[in-house]
Amino acid sequence: MNVVNKPVVQFGLALLTVAVLPLTLSSGILASEILIFAMVVAACNLLLGYTGLLSFGQGIFFGVGSYVAGIFLTRFDLPVPVVLAASLVLGAAIAALVGWLSIRRQGVYFVMLTLAFAQMFYFLAYTFSGLTGGDNGLLDIPRPTVGGAALDGPWSYYVYVAVCFVVVFGLLLVATQSTFGRTLIAIRENESRAAAIGFPTRLFKIEAFAISGAVTAFAGALHAMLIGVAPLSNIEYHISELILIMTIIGGSSSLFGSVLGAGFYLLLADTLSAIWPRWLLLLGLCLVLVALFLQRGIWGLVERLASAVTGGPGPAAPAATSGEEA
Amino acid sequence: MIYLFQVLNGIGIGMLYFLLAVGLSVIFGLLQFVNFAHGAFYLLGAYLTYDLTSRGLSFWAAMPIATLIVAGAAALIEALLLHRIYKLPHSFHILVTVGLALMIQELTIIVWGPLGGSVAPPAGLTGVVMLGDFIYPQYRLFTIAFTAVLAALLWWLLEGTRLGAVVRGGSESSDNMALLGYNTLRINTAVFGFGAGLAGLAGALAAPIRGVEPFMGIEALSVAFVVVVIGGMGSYTGALVAGLLVGVTQSVMAAIWPEGARLMIYIGMALVIALMPRGLLGRA
Repeated sequence: MNVVNKPVVQFGLALLTVAVLPLTLSSGILASEILIFAMVVAACNLLLGYTGLLSFGQGIFFGVGSYVAGIFLTRFDLPVPVVLAASLVLGAAIAALVGWLSIRRQGVYFVMLTLAFAQMFYFLAYTFSGLTGGDNGLLDIPRPTVGGAALDGPWSYYVYVAVCFVVVFGLLLVATQSTFGRTLIAIRENESRAAAIGFPTRLFKIEAFAISGAVTAFAGALHAMLIGVAPLSNIEYHISELILIMTIIGGSSSLFGSVLGAGFYLLLADTLSAIWPRWLLLLGLCLVLVALFLQRGIWGLVERLASAVTGGPGPAAPAATSGEEA
Repeated sequence: MIYLFQVLNGIGIGMLYFLLAVGLSVIFGLLQFVNFAHGAFYLLGAYLTYDLTSRGLSFWAAMPIATLIVAGAAALIEALLLHRIYKLPHSFHILVTVGLALMIQELTIIVWGPLGGSVAPPAGLTGVVMLGDFIYPQYRLFTIAFTAVLAALLWWLLEGTRLGAVVRGGSESSDNMALLGYNTLRINTAVFGFGAGLAGLAGALAAPIRGVEPFMGIEALSVAFVVVVIGGMGSYTGALVAGLLVGVTQSVMAAIWPEGARLMIYIGMALVIALMPRGLLGRA
């Protein structure tokens, strides 16, 4: 195994990211956003890179998480840890439902179904505006308090997000290294063989969805507390698209690739959108170039660099992380 | 009576969904390639019609010109870019076509602005038809008739001609077609242009009904997905039945529960998938 893909190195890189962001960025909001999306993208990667399921519906769970934060914090005044736990549970439940329905179809149909479900949840949120605030979203979502003090400063909330990120990233690493994670990879590589060995592959896929949805919703709740709003745009198709783009650009062969993908996209967006409002044109071009020339994503570059330095094994052939085996 | 109108409306909208889905289907059948830029070609068809008619061109000229431009642009994109990525896994097909869709959408906003606009129905079809005591817009009746003729033509083209046989043969085995002496590269380019042209035509026809705005593409893409998920990809009959079903559901629900009309399309899809995982016609 390439040295940079070792779990210890991955975890170390995650810790390093948490330490480096405050030193290099002037905006605590942006730094927190990067860590929040790093969790979201890693959760998407659990499906794409490990299970071979290309989900176009990750925005559903992100939106659900932010609505959970909005509704439970502003209407029921529940404590933040309870709300975060609720986002985990609801995210997992809804993801299990979406996963259960979507994996009934394979390959490209699976991808199309997840996209259609993303639209369905968008229209649900739009239609039931009494619950979600409709176009306006839910406003005035408070930040958590620690020891009686509200984390109103951008950097104090960053610390809160960073602790969550490290825990979540660590748990995802453990999950991918466990028998469970190995089984997901077996399903990705050859589903019929995994089934023939006796693994209930459908159940494993639904579980992968549930974990992915739980993490994504958790991050969605953190995001709502970061910006103080649970907007309708958090459950839009656009968010699902972004999450997937970040995942593929980062590279789906390791979890830390997802952190790079989220960071790369958000820093690019932050820089370019200030210069040119139509910068998505460049993003579109960037996607085409990644598909043509950088198929293992940014992480593929890191792997190549690492193997050049250590003289270790080079990167394997492009992983077939498509929906084909979905 | 209101429901009869909504059913008529639904048939009109459903036929446009059918055109979108058939285009998607034909491309997928031959190229094993899900075109996530399909909605963007629909968007482009609608905007070109908007542009040409606002320059004073008649709708009857604008509609075919817009369709041909979209088909030509798509064929060019296929010849220059897409044929390079067919061998890659699906995730890269999606990445590239999502990138193309983003570029087309942003170019649309750059050229025509973010606000959108409306397209007047063509001269001669601006009026209404009296059906008993009720009135119905002529243009909507025209789209039903026109798309019905198109659907028949398409069926003949795909099932009854040598061209259709070549396309269907190519979707069975591209290698065998090449062995028989067909230039499969050129066929691929033509079929991609043809499928995208159908999306452009659907956009051109939809423009006088719903106007144009930059985000109509993604809405069309997801509805086309719903149609092919329910009806089956590569199935002409499936696309027709599912397209009409989705269109009528949406229209009738618009009379019963206006806010939830579009939601019901997706709820309906979820129900079909829960009860009949293989879709309505049970293929694929």
